[in-house]
Amino acid sequence: MDEALACAVLASAAGVGPATLTRLLATFGSGRATLALAAGSNARSRLVGVLGPDGGPVADALIAAVSEAESRAAAIGRAGVTVLLASDPEYPAALRGTRDPPPVLFVRGDRAVLSATNTLAIVGTRRPTETGRRIAGRIATAVATLDGVVVSGLAVGIDGAAHAAAVTAGGRTIAVLGGGHDELYPRAHRRLAAEIAEHGGAVVSETPPWVRPAAWSFPQRNRIISGLSAATIVVEAGHGSGALITARAALQQGRDVFVVPGPLDTPTSAGCLALLREAPDAVRVVAGVPELLVDLGLVSDGPRSRPDSGRAALAEAGPVEREVGTLVAAGVGTVDALVAATELPVATVLAAITMLETRGLVVDALGRYRPAGGLLGTPRPARRPRHAPSGRAPPVPW
Amino acid sequence: MLATVFSATLSGLEGRVVRVEVDVAPGLPGFTIVGLPDAALQEARERVRGAIRNSGFEYPPRRITVNLAPADVPKQGASLDLPIAVGVLLGSEQVHGSAGPWALLGELSLGGEIRPAPGILPMVAALAAAGIRRLVVPEAAAGEARLVPDVAALAAPSLRAATDVLRGRRVRGRSAPPSVDLAPLPAAGEGESRSARLAAVEAASVVPDVPDLGEVRGQHEARRALEIALAGGHGLLLWGPPGSGKTLLARTIPTLLPPLDDQEALAATIVASVAGAAPSGLVRRRPFRAPHHTTSYAGMVGGGPRLAPGEVTLADGGVLFLDELPEFGRDVLEALRQPLEEGSVTVVRVGRAATFPARFQLVAAMNPCPCGWHGSDESRCVCPEPVPRRYLARVSGPLRDRIDLWVMMPRVAAGEIVGPVGSERSVAVAARVAAARRRQAGRQGRLNGRLRGNALRRFCRLDPASSSRAVTLAELDAQTARGTERLLRVARTIADLAGSDAVDASHLDEAARFRSPASRLDRAIAV
Repeated sequence: MDEALACAVLASAAGVGPATLTRLLATFGSGRATLALAAGSNARSRLVGVLGPDGGPVADALIAAVSEAESRAAAIGRAGVTVLLASDPEYPAALRGTRDPPPVLFVRGDRAVLSATNTLAIVGTRRPTETGRRIAGRIATAVATLDGVVVSGLAVGIDGAAHAAAVTAGGRTIAVLGGGHDELYPRAHRRLAAEIAEHGGAVVSETPPWVRPAAWSFPQRNRIISGLSAATIVVEAGHGSGALITARAALQQGRDVFVVPGPLDTPTSAGCLALLREAPDAVRVVAGVPELLVDLGLVSDGPRSRPDSGRAALAEAGPVEREVGTLVAAGVGTVDALVAATELPVATVLAAITMLETRGLVVDALGRYRPAGGLLGTPRPARRPRHAPSGRAPPVPW
Repeated sequence: MLATVFSATLSGLEGRVVRVEVDVAPGLPGFTIVGLPDAALQEARERVRGAIRNSGFEYPPRRITVNLAPADVPKQGASLDLPIAVGVLLGSEQVHGSAGPWALLGELSLGGEIRPAPGILPMVAALAAAGIRRLVVPEAAAGEARLVPDVAALAAPSLRAATDVLRGRRVRGRSAPPSVDLAPLPAAGEGESRSARLAAVEAASVVPDVPDLGEVRGQHEARRALEIALAGGHGLLLWGPPGSGKTLLARTIPTLLPPLDDQEALAATIVASVAGAAPSGLVRRRPFRAPHHTTSYAGMVGGGPRLAPGEVTLADGGVLFLDELPEFGRDVLEALRQPLEEGSVTVVRVGRAATFPARFQLVAAMNPCPCGWHGSDESRCVCPEPVPRRYLARVSGPLRDRIDLWVMMPRVAAGEIVGPVGSERSVAVAARVAAARRRQAGRQGRLNGRLRGNALRRFCRLDPASSSRAVTLAELDAQTARGTERLLRVARTIADLAGSDAVDASHLDEAARFRSPASRLDRAIAV
């Protein structure tokens, strides 16, 4: 058994977290050495010696895990994931630099994407508004088109919108799971997860594949989302939203945090505004997608050289599709509204939507139509203020 | 003395001729009924006794034995009250003569009035087929009875009137006693054509108490889906949050369907008659049944002690609307599969089986989740993440496969509700639906919704350009073979609505809007 699998088996024992595993490896030299020791005689007292007087149950769990090491290693192999150790050179440097990096990562997809430097976490509530989804999608599309990597938690809502938009735009994206790969949660996103892994992205977990996610494991994984990312953007978050945990982890890790501001009386903005109030010096505001790209240092300031991609995406379409597509891109999302705006027959509008859908420009969500792909393109950025307010962090050095 | 009277009973949707033999013999007073009577019929003793006494006759203090022949056919219902009572009167020689050529049908009250019984129409038809063409029927059922050609049906209000009819027949040439209120009905088929006669009675069956499509605001997509579904006889599922107008839209269906043709109308009238609706004439309006979601298995497919037809049969030739589809019992929904596939349903009871027609069109409505708000703007949904998916899964895959059109109904914007623009009214849509149905009947003799396999490919031929478009659309969410067939069927109907013989790419594109969301739920709901 190679070292990576040995460490994975150790990490699979109940009660063995990042700190314990690091201590074991430091004491016994390697995962394989620890494995051999735990399988030998007198294992329990020696393990308790390392783990401390309260370490009895953990020692027992370790011995149990080691006794079925082969089957657990086989299960990891079956799950189609690779094991990435903190000591591995491929382990993402940004994550290793945080306070408690996971000692083992289980990765499906391309490991190389984890070490990308132009990473951006987009997180938010699982119950967003239409506007929130659209903004998450637009930011993700813009980042993906500029070869950035979108990091998020694969949850429904903002997370899913960000991942999906990045995949649709042909970009790479990283999804960090709260449980193991075999227990993928939410199940509704199994297909999205597969697409992420197929399109040069990665799905990452710090627990073995068979571990079920628990309520506490999601806040735990949020530190990985922020740790992998140069900056974290909170699109919509209510009071107590998990996205706020990610944002706070990012602040502790010394990363940039942006929030999308919202109205005072909207529950989904409460968390964003609370963050701004909590850390007015550290948290920055997204003043628009083009402005964000400038703040992130993804594009240089000044007039954009890129053409409006929404218009470009519709260039090949017929006149009806162009009219309908332009309206959908502007946020006109129902057939009723499209019929009212175009005064075309329903049949024509419906056929046009299908045309746009097959071109990947519109997605259908329960009778609402949302722009996708090229239609999520950003309008021209507003001029940047000549004198940036003092006390602001410089652009992220990508 | 022995008396013999003819009558009939029901078996499923069919009538069976019954010979009622009444023997009034000396001996200890008693009243026995033999010949597989059901519970209602056992109680006929009490009704007959009361009716005879209260009609001015004497209840004979003798040993009365009633035999219902043939002995092996189960007899049910109270429609045999009248012939039994008349048999007793003939047997005790209070009424003279034989009722030989007459058949009698009807339930009796203790006061001697004749009450209607369910299923008069098929029973009269069975008697007519057996050559018995002179009948006494309850007044309320006279309309049904007269739908059977070449039958002389007299509507009698009471037992006394019924006996007078028998006497009147016996002393031919004499006028009937003036005290009798007889409503003679003209024998059918003399001079006037059958369809003209049917047209005359159809006016009575129109009961307009349904909203017009013009009352539905917005929801262009769903209105269009409904039009296509009704034009092609496709299964339709309306899906949306509470208050989006699903039920209102469905309730307009009766205003959009063409009337039944003669053959269908007769079948529908028989069903209505057996169901006890006592139709006053031929049922011309297509049935629209909207059973509540607590409906039992027997209520849906038919059954019960009387082997009565269920909702699927009552909706034969029309629409079965199931509101809150996932709330129906799982076995109730599964039971819909056979009728949806075969157009009929077989109900088996101990010793009996009946096959009922069930060529209904399924229209269903559901919320996206138990609380109803999933996928709406307002984020009001309180259901945890996997719940909406499980909610849809309550409708099994095989049943979902039989729904050709799926349409999502978002809530209507306030502007649409208060706006001045009126929606299209039912009349215009109904005309298009009728025209499209005529095209289908002329081309293939059935609705597009019933096209499968080779027949579908034959009548939905695509040119190379449309063919490649169909492939693109089928691959859009990796449609199964069934999904692709659904797409073609719906496109065929859209072309028929447009009056086009060929199915082109724009028809396919529009049809693709109504495909099942099951395969793209990952994107549509959760993201």
